[in-house]
Amino acid sequence: MDPLILSFALVNGLLIGGIYGGVALGLSLIFGVMRVVNFAHGSLLMLALYAAFWLQALAGIDPYASVVVTVPLLFAVGFLIQSVVIAPLIRRESALVVEPLSALLLTAGVYLVIDNLALMAFGPDVRSASTSLALAPLMLGPIPVNMQRLIAFSAAILAAVLLSLWLRSTRLGRAIRATAQNRDAAVLSGIDVPMIYAVTFGIGAALLGLFGSLLATFIPITPQVGLSFGIRSFIVVVLGGIGSIPGSIVGGLVIGVFEALASQFVPATSAAILSLGLFILILLVRPSGLMGRA
Amino acid sequence: MTTARPDRLRSPTVPRPDEIRAPSLPAAPGRRPRDAGTGFGTLGLIALMTLAAMALPLVVTDSYLLHSCIVVLFFAYMATAWNFVCGYVGQLSIGHAMFAGIGGYATVLLFTGLGLSPWLGMPVGGLLAALLSVVVGYPTFRLRGPYFALTTIAFAEMIRIWVENTDTVLGIPLNGAAGLTVPLRGESLAALQFNGKAPYYWVIVGLLAGALTATWWLEHSKLGFYLKAIRGDRDAAESLGISPARYQLVALAISAFMTGIGGGFYAQFFRYVNAERLIGVDLSIDMALMSIIGGQGTVFGPLLGAVLLAPLAEITRGHLGGSLLGLHIVVYGIILMLAVLYLPKGLIAPLRSLLARLGLLGRGGRR
Repeated sequence: MDPLILSFALVNGLLIGGIYGGVALGLSLIFGVMRVVNFAHGSLLMLALYAAFWLQALAGIDPYASVVVTVPLLFAVGFLIQSVVIAPLIRRESALVVEPLSALLLTAGVYLVIDNLALMAFGPDVRSASTSLALAPLMLGPIPVNMQRLIAFSAAILAAVLLSLWLRSTRLGRAIRATAQNRDAAVLSGIDVPMIYAVTFGIGAALLGLFGSLLATFIPITPQVGLSFGIRSFIVVVLGGIGSIPGSIVGGLVIGVFEALASQFVPATSAAILSLGLFILILLVRPSGLMGRA
Repeated sequence: MTTARPDRLRSPTVPRPDEIRAPSLPAAPGRRPRDAGTGFGTLGLIALMTLAAMALPLVVTDSYLLHSCIVVLFFAYMATAWNFVCGYVGQLSIGHAMFAGIGGYATVLLFTGLGLSPWLGMPVGGLLAALLSVVVGYPTFRLRGPYFALTTIAFAEMIRIWVENTDTVLGIPLNGAAGLTVPLRGESLAALQFNGKAPYYWVIVGLLAGALTATWWLEHSKLGFYLKAIRGDRDAAESLGISPARYQLVALAISAFMTGIGGGFYAQFFRYVNAERLIGVDLSIDMALMSIIGGQGTVFGPLLGAVLLAPLAEITRGHLGGSLLGLHIVVYGIILMLAVLYLPKGLIAPLRSLLARLGLLGRGGRR
């Protein structure tokens, strides 16, 4: 195999992998704090992609500029989903931890509603947004690097770093971590737990708002696009360690590079099947995930 | 950030339950902790319902109506198969359709490739599904947390996408997104092909009766008691020497076997399989949703859920399908959310207390 082609695949795999990791960040954060697997994760990304598309189609706003709208918009959507749909379930549960399976089913209902409302509202057509910025590929030696992917990749790394710092150093971040560790003790310390949950869900969704805007320029936008990203995110977080922020990025990079390299030898769809094998292998050898604490 | 705590591997010093049982104790038939009478009441009810259902084609001759009945019973069968594992072990599968897919594809391919009768192809497909279920269940049942649920959906979707994009694999034609058709052989019992609807109807009634009986058996078997113990308190069950991973895996394999046979029936009845409908997430969610709405962890709950929901889907699709694509699934999603929030035990619980109040149900009618 030509080393140039392989290194090109490697660079592409790293970029795509970082993006997978960035998309999975919110899923990991929400699970880490609330023990809720958000099945509607991909659907929220789909909403953000459509928001970016319509902002350009109707108001002429460049997808990269639409971040100022999509991020607050998705924060609000996430905040609402948590406080209207999931909060009643958490209130019902007297135990420390929500029964995760009920929450998973509940968010599966959210997924069904959002995806099919989008299908009804936007139709099954494939859409795409384009940016007016001139983004010539960056040459890394002989290897061309797609700028749109590089921007999204950098945003993913930056978002993970900033999120970790924010959780570590701010008052609200500490309150979120305290709630994650022990809900009842957090209540006793005067933390408004329902509010923390809603804010956490909002932040998880707002991250998808960011990636919706950044991915809109090179991802075909359909009402079904969310599920495939959601599934990829599930694999990424389990691989990296559920609830771990750096694990999310590492898991994404591993899957991205593995698929890019494997697809040099087998068709791309078979490479995806091989990544399932990798997934099972890691579950068997290191069930807490690559970056999870055992 | 917190991380999920994986279940530490079972200590090898913990004896297996069959080692605990003193060898001098014979497996006496009367050792069942519950009164057997109630259980056989349930079994009698299954037999009675089966007989009554079998007689239906003698009265109903309208082909469309019979077709709809078959679809409803197919969903009831699939939901019952899903319930066999998910209703009893407290784990959620959102990818059960992959077992249906492997069963359906195997049945068709064995028939077209080797000329194997679907009567044999269906159980072979079921066994392949059980094999796949072990691949999914073995690594994940050892762990606590949502690993099993996430792995089932990940596997099902990846397999669906793979099948949709693969025309041949190792010389076996999968035919990609177009799917496979079952070649017509005319009226043939051996090829499980009939001109009328009634024979298909009898087959699915038979399958459903089998699945209900299997669920009844589970509730009264040692396996069922182990599963209840694991669901109630995993640590306590483990300390008594019950291996959660092992017994959950057994239940999953049986459930996958039944689901695989259901996929084979689907292939024979529609004479067509494709990845989107047979492996897609919609079928997986249908199976889960019907069990949950009806009442998971009960013998008749999934049947009740299917009888209520499958016609609803048929009606909304028929009346609104053309104009409002996806509306019936939105309705489904809302029903699912309301059920999880306000009716976690399913509709069978209030129905039971109503029947009990009317004096139609005996003291032991809890199940």
